[in-house]
Amino acid sequence: MENDTVDELDAIGLNDIYTALAKAEDQLEPIEEETEPEEEGSFGFYHTDLYDSQRRVGAFPEEEKEEQEQQHEAAQELTSSGAEQIQTDIQNDVDELAKLYGLSDDDKDSVVDPVIAVQPYKYTITQHNVPSTEEPLPLTKQNKESEIYPEDKHLGLQDESLKIEHTKTTRQPDGKGIQPQDKEEGLEVEHSPGDVDEFLQQHTQPPQSGGDLVEMENPTECTNQENNVQGSHSEEKQNSPADVSKETEEPPDIFCLQCKIPIRAFDKLFGLHKDHSVKEISVAVENIKEDVHKNMCKLEEQIAQMENFAGHLEEIFITIEENFGRQEQNVEMHYTEVMDTIASKHEEKLQVLADEKKMKLESLFEQLVECGKSLDTSKELMETIQTLFKENNKVEFVKLICFQCGLIKLILNICRLHEYFNTDINLNISTNAEFENNNLDFSDVENLLDSINTLPVPSAPVINPQAPNSATAVSLRVCWSLYSEDTVEHYHLFYKPVSDVAQGEDRQEFMIRSKETYCTVTNLMPNTQYEFWVIAINASGESPASENAVYVTAPSPPIIKTKECLSCEDAAFICWESGNINPVESYTVEIQNAKNEKEDNSFSECIVGIPICESLILLKPNGMYHISVKAVNVGGPSESSKPVSINTTGTYFYLNEETSHPLLSISDNGSTISCEEEESLEDLPYHCNNFSRCIAVLGNLIPFKGRHYWEVEVDENTEYRVGVAYEDTNRSGMLGANNSSWCLRHICTRTRHRYEFLHCGVAPDIRITIPPTRIGILLDYDYDSLSFFNMNINQHLYTFQCQFQHLVHPCFALEKRGKLKIRNGIPVPHSPTVP
Amino acid sequence: MALKQISSNKCFEGYQKVFEHDSSELKCKIRFGIYLPPKAETSKCPVVYWLSGLTCTEQNFITKAAFHQAAAEHGLIVVAPDTSPRGCNIDGEEDSWDFGTGAGFYVNATEDPWKTNYRMYSYVVEELPQLINGNFPTDPDRISIFGHSMGGHGALICALKNPGKYKTVSAFAPICNPIQCPWGQKAFSGYLGSDATKWEAYDATYLVKTYSGSQLDILIDQGKDDQFLSAGQLLPDNFIAACTERKIPVVFRLQEGYDHSYFFITTFINDHIKHHAKYLNA
Repeated sequence: MENDTVDELDAIGLNDIYTALAKAEDQLEPIEEETEPEEEGSFGFYHTDLYDSQRRVGAFPEEEKEEQEQQHEAAQELTSSGAEQIQTDIQNDVDELAKLYGLSDDDKDSVVDPVIAVQPYKYTITQHNVPSTEEPLPLTKQNKESEIYPEDKHLGLQDESLKIEHTKTTRQPDGKGIQPQDKEEGLEVEHSPGDVDEFLQQHTQPPQSGGDLVEMENPTECTNQENNVQGSHSEEKQNSPADVSKETEEPPDIFCLQCKIPIRAFDKLFGLHKDHSVKEISVAVENIKEDVHKNMCKLEEQIAQMENFAGHLEEIFITIEENFGRQEQNVEMHYTEVMDTIASKHEEKLQVLADEKKMKLESLFEQLVECGKSLDTSKELMETIQTLFKENNKVEFVKLICFQCGLIKLILNICRLHEYFNTDINLNISTNAEFENNNLDFSDVENLLDSINTLPVPSAPVINPQAPNSATAVSLRVCWSLYSEDTVEHYHLFYKPVSDVAQGEDRQEFMIRSKETYCTVTNLMPNTQYEFWVIAINASGESPASENAVYVTAPSPPIIKTKECLSCEDAAFICWESGNINPVESYTVEIQNAKNEKEDNSFSECIVGIPICESLILLKPNGMYHISVKAVNVGGPSESSKPVSINTTGTYFYLNEETSHPLLSISDNGSTISCEEEESLEDLPYHCNNFSRCIAVLGNLIPFKGRHYWEVEVDENTEYRVGVAYEDTNRSGMLGANNSSWCLRHICTRTRHRYEFLHCGVAPDIRITIPPTRIGILLDYDYDSLSFFNMNINQHLYTFQCQFQHLVHPCFALEKRGKLKIRNGIPVPHSPTVP
Repeated sequence: MALKQISSNKCFEGYQKVFEHDSSELKCKIRFGIYLPPKAETSKCPVVYWLSGLTCTEQNFITKAAFHQAAAEHGLIVVAPDTSPRGCNIDGEEDSWDFGTGAGFYVNATEDPWKTNYRMYSYVVEELPQLINGNFPTDPDRISIFGHSMGGHGALICALKNPGKYKTVSAFAPICNPIQCPWGQKAFSGYLGSDATKWEAYDATYLVKTYSGSQLDILIDQGKDDQFLSAGQLLPDNFIAACTERKIPVVFRLQEGYDHSYFFITTFINDHIKHHAKYLNA
């Protein structure tokens, strides 16, 4: 039965797939629900953006759709989640459009709708899959969707799918009908995938919903098949009934990869799928399941991505809020400033005008008064002259006196008149009625206005004090900070070395440009103080300089005086040169156990805070150590010095050549002393520290009160003194002749060798039958003893019991010509330890 | 060879004991002292044989020398035999203090009537070690020997006549050249007969001249105020000269102010115990 096959296909393969998908959706839904509130929130926050997009959408709705279509075509493997997402977006857009056209009232609806809008699609899918779905449901969906998607084309698609529904529902009850047959025939129609795509493209236009479904792989594939059925409906009648009867005999057992449908093996051999590649149906189902799973994973990824994106958007939103607040404040400030300035200008101008008016009026008044005065005078003179004139006319040259008087008066008046005429009567108006043309100067206001649009000049940055370990010998990392409201394009970091010279004019300043709030300054001098200051710069100008901060470069590594390093079984004494001109704070000694080197390269031990250039380090016997030193100052530690290797097998000392008698020569890297001549000792150049009588030299033993052993190799007939002495032993005395030295003296007499164990000039009477040529000397502070051995035969010769007041050093002397070989670094032999 | 314990005293966590036994070499009962250090309770210890001087019994050393502490510290068994057979009823046995009883001189006598009993050399070198090794926790390979005066002579000849047997040897004021001194001449002529060439076999200075074999490190202490030194009984210079010539290592210490007594021995016994321990515990 053809219908059965189709049903079984649904039952076996697709139903499984869909249940899986449904499960996946169930799993996804909580995630979506979780994200929804957030999205709502973000939509709430970003309402401005939405308005923007709405405007944009309103302006170019078509363009965007086309764009999206192109994207679809380009990305064939677009995942279903992506499809849903796009769908949601589209629906948002559509909602917004609807809002624009007054189709939707409430803002909230537009927020909620996308969530709902997704749902119908799911239902649609279910409709396709579950044939028992009743008609009314899709219709309601359709109605809803038609609300959301006002486009006709989409409705058309809905119709198409509905048609499929119809075929299915009709087919379901009968099992065997003409329509099912038709459907089966539809399946057999040779539709290449390309055809399907073409077909879909014709029908899936408006909301890309169909296209999205195509990308949703399995479920949509099924839909496609069904669409194919629909599309090939017209061709059904071309098939013969015989084919149908054959196909009903057995269920499909293989899957045609090209047609994406389950077929029977028979078809593979003889049917339409003859040349197609096929797979066993179970394998095919597995593959499909796998694909579904992959897509689900992709979906989840995308959800996560979108969540992240939403979070990011939220952050940006907050930032914009902050920036807005800041800008608002800024504008407000500037506005106030400008208004203040204009008001003060206004005041100023009025004042100036009033002042000028007052001045002008005053001056005019004064002139008026002057004028009146002149007028009075003129009148008076006129009167006087008239009087005189009358008198002259009326009195007929009468009395002489009178005449005389009158004459005098006349003369006087004439003089006055002359005088009056001579004075210039200023008839110019002293002041202009016009006010001076005072152009209002608004240049500073303009500047202010200009500065509203530009950035404020940053304030002085704050330079940080030197951070620990921020320095190397030649570089410093300088950090500073800016005030948060400042906008800075870059900084100029200035520096100069701090010198002891009083405010030296020669100190060169350097400048470095930095975009960051830190800068690593290189090419500096080690262990040197530098003064740093920084200015911030933006388009509006430069900030004032920060305060000065003094940084110090790390020191140069010290140099270990390898030849002066001492050691014994339990300790090493290391000394070094600073390597720096300026003093450093302290030194750090790093001890690495050479035997552990391969396992672990880190230092096994560190001694820090050593203030001087030497250190006594306790070690373990029979080890090999690499010891290096670092100099430390505020800036941090220097590089490690070149390491010195210390072997704690036996004692190592070196000869102190400063104490050496002039006739004694030291050779073989300090291990052999020899005396070649016995001439008069008088004319030799002695220094205060030289042995002057005994041809001797002191060794420099590690200042550690443990056990020290060394050997002396000597010719049988050489006369010598070997032993120990205090460092300050009498340089003009003989070794063993005083209480500051202990020694074995060898004297060759004519008949025999004499060996004296001398201290304070006395020696016990001891005879030794075999002259030692390899003398072992064991200094043991623990037992306050000094022992001598004939190491050729491990013979104990003598042991001094001595209360050493302080540290002693090895001493060696030759009585006549000869040489001594000193052997260092020998482990204490077992046998001499007992006596 | 049954041992009869005569006494046992705890001393420095060990025991100082005295045993008596019938000697096959000496054909008489003879006693020896033995100090067992605490270490001997758990492990085998080296043995140091001490040979006493003229007139002494086993008692002198164990009561006077104060060696116990050092021996206990170094884990040494110290065996101190008597100096001659006793109670053998030989004519003239008790006549003089420097011949006969208490003056065995550590030789095997060849002359009558001494030759039966006076076989102190064999007793010390063979019988006694066998007895000790058979009855006490010893390490037979690690033995050494020392002594005082006549015992110093005995120690030197035992070591020189048996190269390798004794790890080391030391002596306090030994009779170094008995052939040349009155004591030696008297004893040797009595025990060995008048043929002086036979004496050379028991003379340390002679033995050194022909010594070859494993290295010996000989330590000799000598009191400078020893009356027998000045009397020409000890003659260490001859021995030292021979050793120097033969390149036998000797440290000879002439100790200022000391005489021939056990006070002298007590003073330096620790140096000697250490000297032996150095070779026995090496």
